[in-house]
Amino acid sequence: MMKSQTGIQSRRRFRLTDDDLWGYAFILIAMIAFGVFTLYPVISAVETSFLKYKPFGSEFIGLKNYQDTFSSSLFYKTVLNTLEYTVVVVPLSLLMAFAISIMILPFSKKTQSVFKSMYYLPGIASGVALSVVWLWIYDSSPTGLMNQVFTFLHLPTQNWLSSSKTSMISLMFMALMSGQGSNIIIYIAALLGIDNSYFEAAELDGATFMQKVRYIVFPLVKPTTLFLLVTGVIGSFQVFMNAFMMTGGGPDNSTTMIGLLIYKNAFEYSKYGLACAQAILLAIVIAIISLVQFKMMGVDVEY
Amino acid sequence: MKKFLALLLAAMMLLGMTSAFAEATDTITVMVPPVTGTYLDDIDTWANDFMAEHPEIKVEVIKTSWDDHNSKLNTMANAGEAPDIAEVSYSAIGTYVELGLGVEIDQYMDADRLSDYDQNALDYMSLGGHVYGLPLYITIQALGANKDMLEAAGVDVAKVQTEGWTYDQFMEAIKNGTTENCFGFVFANSGVTAGDFLSIFGVAAGLTNSFTSDLKYAYTSDNMLKLLEAVETMTKSGYMPNYGVEAGQRMVMCQTGNAMIFGKAMPLFENNINKNNKALEANDGTAVENSIPVNYAFLPVPTMEGVTETCFGSVDGLIALRNNNTNDEHLKNVCLFLDYLCSGERAAAVDQTLLLDPVCKSGREAYVSPEGLDEGNVKSAARAISLVVAPPAGITSEQSANAKILMDEVIIPKFQALLAGETTAQDMFDAIVKEAQNVFGAENCVSGQL
Repeated sequence: MMKSQTGIQSRRRFRLTDDDLWGYAFILIAMIAFGVFTLYPVISAVETSFLKYKPFGSEFIGLKNYQDTFSSSLFYKTVLNTLEYTVVVVPLSLLMAFAISIMILPFSKKTQSVFKSMYYLPGIASGVALSVVWLWIYDSSPTGLMNQVFTFLHLPTQNWLSSSKTSMISLMFMALMSGQGSNIIIYIAALLGIDNSYFEAAELDGATFMQKVRYIVFPLVKPTTLFLLVTGVIGSFQVFMNAFMMTGGGPDNSTTMIGLLIYKNAFEYSKYGLACAQAILLAIVIAIISLVQFKMMGVDVEY
Repeated sequence: MKKFLALLLAAMMLLGMTSAFAEATDTITVMVPPVTGTYLDDIDTWANDFMAEHPEIKVEVIKTSWDDHNSKLNTMANAGEAPDIAEVSYSAIGTYVELGLGVEIDQYMDADRLSDYDQNALDYMSLGGHVYGLPLYITIQALGANKDMLEAAGVDVAKVQTEGWTYDQFMEAIKNGTTENCFGFVFANSGVTAGDFLSIFGVAAGLTNSFTSDLKYAYTSDNMLKLLEAVETMTKSGYMPNYGVEAGQRMVMCQTGNAMIFGKAMPLFENNINKNNKALEANDGTAVENSIPVNYAFLPVPTMEGVTETCFGSVDGLIALRNNNTNDEHLKNVCLFLDYLCSGERAAAVDQTLLLDPVCKSGREAYVSPEGLDEGNVKSAARAISLVVAPPAGITSEQSANAKILMDEVIIPKFQALLAGETTAQDMFDAIVKEAQNVFGAENCVSGQL
């Protein structure tokens, strides 16, 4: 008797109501888009990573693409370059965005909007257009803009993009100068969400500006910081446009990032299998780093 | 109502039959960038003329820009949707053959049509003994200069243009041509253009191709070391800029009097420089800022001791590719149109614009020499074309593809470091030898002098 009652209950529990069906209908388009444009390409990439890809008749080669990847010194160099870029750009980028947001916050809404627009402006420009401007700034001849600034400061001119000593720094500086817009907007939104009573109480207690930042602002925007850190690291590991447009990966592969290596293997050498294997490895690395970040920083974060 | 329905059904049937007949025509797709300034318009005219002669064939032209042509072609090819005919440089053929997309056109073309093309140019379009495409032109890449400055630096320009010169004579000339505001020599060396420096000056050291006639990898020879040492000397000499020079800057530096000799240069540049001279004369504001009138001289690359003089040439042409629609009958039509585009008046029109000699008999017959060009430059260009050495026969698609990867991933990046003074010629050479022996095997790499 009890058994049959439980069976009826579970059937009732899984019976789809009209509301359920409407719900599924509404998410259907998103699910199809996810399936076609995300899930299928990922599954296909995994499959291709075991093939010597040819448009008409690929050949199964097992783990050879992965073996070739691990035996390539260029692969390790690109991983190191990407790590170097990430370790410098992501924290500095967050720090800059946080500092700028704090500085913008005391202004009126109109002034805030002006600053937000100014910082976001490079974000709406195409990467190609931005690169052209930065190529002009980094012109290595004595008449180049950056070199003129250096000459004015009585510093020696630099071979910005053609020397491995300065090429990576040049790309990092470019990323820091032109990629703050969205971070600033997100930080300002988070800062505006902090209740004023915390600051009033701190004022009464005689807290200094830095103490307010440290004990009120920083803990309360931690979820935002975690979000920006994770998305920043993911974006940084996938960085491609800057190196592709500015240096082509040179000199001496000093700015070849893993994204650029994957692009070259796929679209310049037509080694799709190898490119897919490297893309899968990159995805695994990003997933591991993101998990570690959540584990380490997300312990006391409430959403 | 019934009559109306009957009429409607009949009309639909007729439409269906029409489309069935329409499907009987063979459609050929051709993808090209602006090979010359008017090429994308010209090809429409040529396609219409061809379709008028062959009503059973329909031609569709996909027009691209130089910026996106290669990536677009590569993406389409890998999706199995390559155009039937595409413009490529000869060095890219190996990649498409390796993908199983190359069409051995010698199996679909009559031998007498194939014999219309110069063997030297045809060799560039061949791999493993099979022809995969037809040549449009041989581009010769060497040096250009301000003739007056060169003469002031003590160079007998006419003699250099007709007899060539040695590396020592070149170094002496750029030394004499260097002043406070002018470099004796400038070569675009920023980013991937560094590869041009290597290829063009490679012939100075006897490196005409990645492989020798016995199909051994050539960049591991002592000639390569000699070349790298010469480049190292040049970069440290102070006679050329010690900073990265973008491709677009080199000719401007010559036009503004900031450089005497520049590279890479082609015969075609005479047009650009003459145009600027006219703009200066007209004072209409279209001339390059701060430019001066320049008398352009097209020069050969200097030759090092013990090396037979050659010139770096590259062949661009059209290749046939496989796609989902490929069958034997279709390929015959593809080759018919391919031959039509690369021969006769079409080839002559391209070569006339680029100031290059045609590479097929029918093209030469239709060719009308452009007027108003410097006689010395015309002779120098003709001499340079005669000095171009085609790649050896028998290179496989795999060798060709591996040589390209080695060039892009090792040689050019290391060469960029050499130009920036961050590595030595010997270290770079050792790195090339190590990687080349990994890829091709030590027994397939040249050691010692070529």
